[in-house]
Amino acid sequence: MNYSLKEKGLIASLIITLIVFGDYFIDVFRSLNSTEPNQNGLMNIITVVILIAVLEAIIHSILAGVNDEVEDERDKLIERLSYRNAYWVLCVGAWFLIAQVFLDATFMPIVGLTTTPFGLANLILFAFILAEVIMFITQLYYYRKGVV
Amino acid sequence: MRLHNTIRKLRFNANEMSQQTLAEKIGVTRQTVIAIEKDKYSPSLEVAFKIALVFDIPLEQIFSYE
Repeated sequence: MNYSLKEKGLIASLIITLIVFGDYFIDVFRSLNSTEPNQNGLMNIITVVILIAVLEAIIHSILAGVNDEVEDERDKLIERLSYRNAYWVLCVGAWFLIAQVFLDATFMPIVGLTTTPFGLANLILFAFILAEVIMFITQLYYYRKGVV
Repeated sequence: MRLHNTIRKLRFNANEMSQQTLAEKIGVTRQTVIAIEKDKYSPSLEVAFKIALVFDIPLEQIFSYE
């Protein structure tokens, strides 16, 4: 399969996001099961954000060196469609969390997920990252399958 | 119903004009020209008219809706 530089950049960003945040969320959801306070919560998220920023900067600087094509109307259309899809994911996540907080429901399998500020903050972050992943995937889909 | 085009044939008739050359003339990327030729992207009216200007033929001889 032939991938354009734009698609390669998207695939790289998707993989980085999935690996780095996947690892982070596995740790977070495991730690929520324990009754001990998470002392490293803030440090972990700062580390993850810095790691993502550095890896993205490296990839985009590599691609910028070989990619002299500017964005055109097709790129902008695909970006708009992908942002719309990501927006819906974010909306569903936000409404879900709002409902959880208002109802103080406890039907989530992981203890402490919505009952602690740390758990709630991580769920909001999870919704953001899920929206970002959906954005990458739909962008890739439109580049592959086309937009007509 | 889909938008079809004859750009590949027109490029061939224009001394095998490359996709890159056409892309530069109409102000899009080569990837977009590829997508248009494969009917994977319907260009804007502006780009469609620019393509017609490059090949100097009416728009309906390039694009058809069928």
